[in-house]
Amino acid sequence: MPNSSRYDAIVTGAGHNGLTTACYLAKAGLRVLVVEKNDWIGGAAVSRELHDGWIYSNCSYVCSLLRPEVVRDLDLPRHGLQVIPYEGGANFTPDGDYFAHYADHDALRREIARHWKRDVDAYERYSKFVLRQCRFIRPLLLRTPPDPVSLHPRDLQELLYLIRRFHDLGEREMGETIRFWTLSVGEFLEEYFESELIRASFAGSGIIGTGLGVYSPGTAYVLLHHYMGEVDGSIGSWGFARGGMGAISDALASALKEAGGEIQVGSGIDRFLTRDGKVTGIVLDNGDEFEAPLVASNMDVKRTFLNHVAPSELPDEFVTAVKRFKIRGSSGKLNIALDAFPEFPAAPPDAPFLKGDLHCSVSLAELERAYDDWKEGRWSADPYFDMLISTGTDPTMAPPGKHTMTMFIQYAPYDLELDGTRAPENWDKARERFADTVLDKVERICPRIRELIVHKEVRSPWDLEREVGLTEGNIFQGELTFDQLLFNRPVPGYAQYRSPIKGLYLVGSSTHPGGGVMAAPGANAAREILRDVKLLSRHSRWSRAA
Amino acid sequence: MKVSSMSNNYDAIVVGAGHNGLTAAATLARRGKRVLVLERSENIGGMATTSEIAPGVRGPRLAHLLYNLSPLVSSELNLEKRGLRVAAGDLPTVSLSSDGRHVVIAGAEARFSDGGAHPDADAFSSLWQRLVRYSALIAPIFSRTPPRLAGGGLSKENLFEGAQLARLGVDLRRMGKSEMREFLRVVLSNVCDLILDEIPDGPLAGAVAADAVLGAWAGPKSPGTVLMLMYRLAQGGAKHLPAGGMGAVSEALADAARAHGAEIRTGVSVDSVLIDGDRVRGVAFSGNESAAAPLVFSSLDTQSTLKLVGAEHFDIEACRRIRNIRAKGTTAKINIALSAAPKFRGLDDALARARLLIAPSVGYIERAFNPAKYGELPSEPMIEVVIPSLSDPSLCNDGAHVMSAIVQYAPYDLKNGWSAAAREELAKTSLALLDGYAPGITDLVTASEVLSPADIERDTGARGGHWHH
Repeated sequence: MPNSSRYDAIVTGAGHNGLTTACYLAKAGLRVLVVEKNDWIGGAAVSRELHDGWIYSNCSYVCSLLRPEVVRDLDLPRHGLQVIPYEGGANFTPDGDYFAHYADHDALRREIARHWKRDVDAYERYSKFVLRQCRFIRPLLLRTPPDPVSLHPRDLQELLYLIRRFHDLGEREMGETIRFWTLSVGEFLEEYFESELIRASFAGSGIIGTGLGVYSPGTAYVLLHHYMGEVDGSIGSWGFARGGMGAISDALASALKEAGGEIQVGSGIDRFLTRDGKVTGIVLDNGDEFEAPLVASNMDVKRTFLNHVAPSELPDEFVTAVKRFKIRGSSGKLNIALDAFPEFPAAPPDAPFLKGDLHCSVSLAELERAYDDWKEGRWSADPYFDMLISTGTDPTMAPPGKHTMTMFIQYAPYDLELDGTRAPENWDKARERFADTVLDKVERICPRIRELIVHKEVRSPWDLEREVGLTEGNIFQGELTFDQLLFNRPVPGYAQYRSPIKGLYLVGSSTHPGGGVMAAPGANAAREILRDVKLLSRHSRWSRAA
Repeated sequence: MKVSSMSNNYDAIVVGAGHNGLTAAATLARRGKRVLVLERSENIGGMATTSEIAPGVRGPRLAHLLYNLSPLVSSELNLEKRGLRVAAGDLPTVSLSSDGRHVVIAGAEARFSDGGAHPDADAFSSLWQRLVRYSALIAPIFSRTPPRLAGGGLSKENLFEGAQLARLGVDLRRMGKSEMREFLRVVLSNVCDLILDEIPDGPLAGAVAADAVLGAWAGPKSPGTVLMLMYRLAQGGAKHLPAGGMGAVSEALADAARAHGAEIRTGVSVDSVLIDGDRVRGVAFSGNESAAAPLVFSSLDTQSTLKLVGAEHFDIEACRRIRNIRAKGTTAKINIALSAAPKFRGLDDALARARLLIAPSVGYIERAFNPAKYGELPSEPMIEVVIPSLSDPSLCNDGAHVMSAIVQYAPYDLKNGWSAAAREELAKTSLALLDGYAPGITDLVTASEVLSPADIERDTGARGGHWHH
């Protein structure tokens, strides 16, 4: 990039949040550069052809949380994004049955009745309650959290907004909301459902990506991350981005280019340049230097401030708080190329749910034991998995007649225990055994799976950290517990996307409202950046939409 | 039953003579109300009683330490004048270590049992003081009626509650910005992270974690445990051994109630709370008796109270919410009669009187919690031990001693139930563990009793045998 090393704003990291921020800044008229360490863009939202003809969404794998406001603002469908919903999934039991959780409400009622009639009524109450909670939370996703100790009018106004919304729930619902936020997903489901299979089928969403078990308080809230999304206005739906999750990143990149932004791949940041407490630019690993008064980091808070900023540039209290931010690797992935669509003996042939998320965890105790293993530094002997054969819905991801399958596995520790030591490097000796543990479990519901495997990629938290840059391979860039949500995320006092270094912003999932391919942190951060450079008006369309 | 025909008329009836029931009775009686207390068992006190474990060996049957006693109640009811004395106040805690270098914690100070300085003493001290400050902040909430979340207009009560909340806000602000931020960060977090951010894992960290999870169905890694720790520290966290065992607390409260004219009847099982329309009229008890009062106070847990009243008097949503109150007891009590004072390795006589903890690390406690989630017993439980007879010789005759152990985690819903064999197993595990720290203690045992959460529920009525029911 000779002769053009000055920009209005630089974004480090071309993850979906970084790209989102870049798009908004570019659309507001700034000259924007995005730098990315990998040779490809997308961060954890990528489509990669790792075996001839087979394309994997090898990190994030389904789409639902992507904020419709962002999709509209950036006109992503015109840039090629197409999300295809799937119709639910199933949880298989060892005795040859299954519980199908259809997206269709009435179909799901019938399926619940098939297992346990009394839970049909419970499901009505449950789904209404969860929907009410989603309605309460959703508008907060695209708002900047107030600083509760600040007397700044905007903070007070925002705090008042939160209190008013909360108060509007009514007394009973307020009490229930406080309980819900502090309850474990296991106990929450036990209050509604009697069938252990149904409880276990719903519980998985409460632990995905977190270092907590189904009986850990606070996991009921994580459940919402599964229900908050939508596909084309259908609330709670999940879908596949046509062409894999990379299609989201590609659409964002296309929108960015249209707005005049640039992307440079192949070299990551070495350090942020600062002068007198202000950011002045960045230096890349390859020695390239770029100047800009605004720099937005898509990296997580630890990586940003502990690896690329000299500690002397930061207040001690801030550095301590960043060190204490909890980012725990708890999940692994298996991406598999299949020779044919696998058979599930328990399911009727061509059952629609086979195109959705498949599981094999039949009790809360089984899920909790999986967590106990993780606490001791082992992967779960009996893991929870979320398995999807994406080509059932989107055949473009494999050669004709062939299939790709993606498996998300909970729990896998970052610093694996092996022969008395706990270290991420142990994964190099254990990756295949981890895959075997998972495949052994898959064989319970799909006995011929191993015969169909053409290629597989095993991803430990350590691999995710090294490739994508996520600390400990945590998919949310930080645990979603109360001490790290809202005004506490990532660091109390710095929850408004700004940092102690003027002009340096955080735009990744380490910030409110957290992880998932949501694009909310990126959009919120862009709003704050534009507010600081007094360009907000052209951009504020949705900032008060709630 | 026609209420008007009742011969016994009272201003208020209290169901259950546990310490909270007695406090309510005494407080009401002191204000001139005519109060009747009805207790199902033959003894008053609920979980705060002193009982004879073996001939000549008396000790606290369930609860064994006094902490958080409301100073307001204590002074208002004159409990000291009524015989409530402390045999040993501000008991230090000794967190036992297998290497014999135990950690002694007194207030915010930590040192080794051999007198050596603890390398993490300063970090611990500042953490502890911070927690005590936070606890003091929220402590006023514990001595008031919980505020309602949404008021109906500008009534006097609502304004009062609003003022209380506003005061909490003001108190928060007075702490300063960074302290307030830290409070809002940790208040709902887990105690494991809170401690291990400050000090390395070990007996000192284990002791802090133990205080957070005692009595709870939670491990140190469970979010919410910091709040439980703050609850325990609400009155500063000091722990006392009352002279005469915990029964003395109940006796003093009962004495206060009686002195103010309350009537306490034991061995009386309440059958139902009498309702007429939407008003309480009294209670029916002992099969054929009844008493009338416009006010009935229940010191039973919510679900048991619901049963006495009858679900038909509540709307279905209220019943559901009451049913959803969790009370999964995880604590068993082992009372042991010893023929002589036990000798703990590395503890002198003075320190043996302390509150002893087997909680050598946070990880250890978390592992002890794991099996409880599946209705199983831990192979290495967390144990809190006191030997009250060392401070209060009046409890035992002839050189004998009583050792009181709270063993966690012992799940209420033990797989296959709390059989004699299960109790035996728990006692054996616990004693073997204690023997590691006090070699030979097993040979001193002359009698022992194991009270599982199921036993505690049966004896006291507290659902799940949970000490916070």
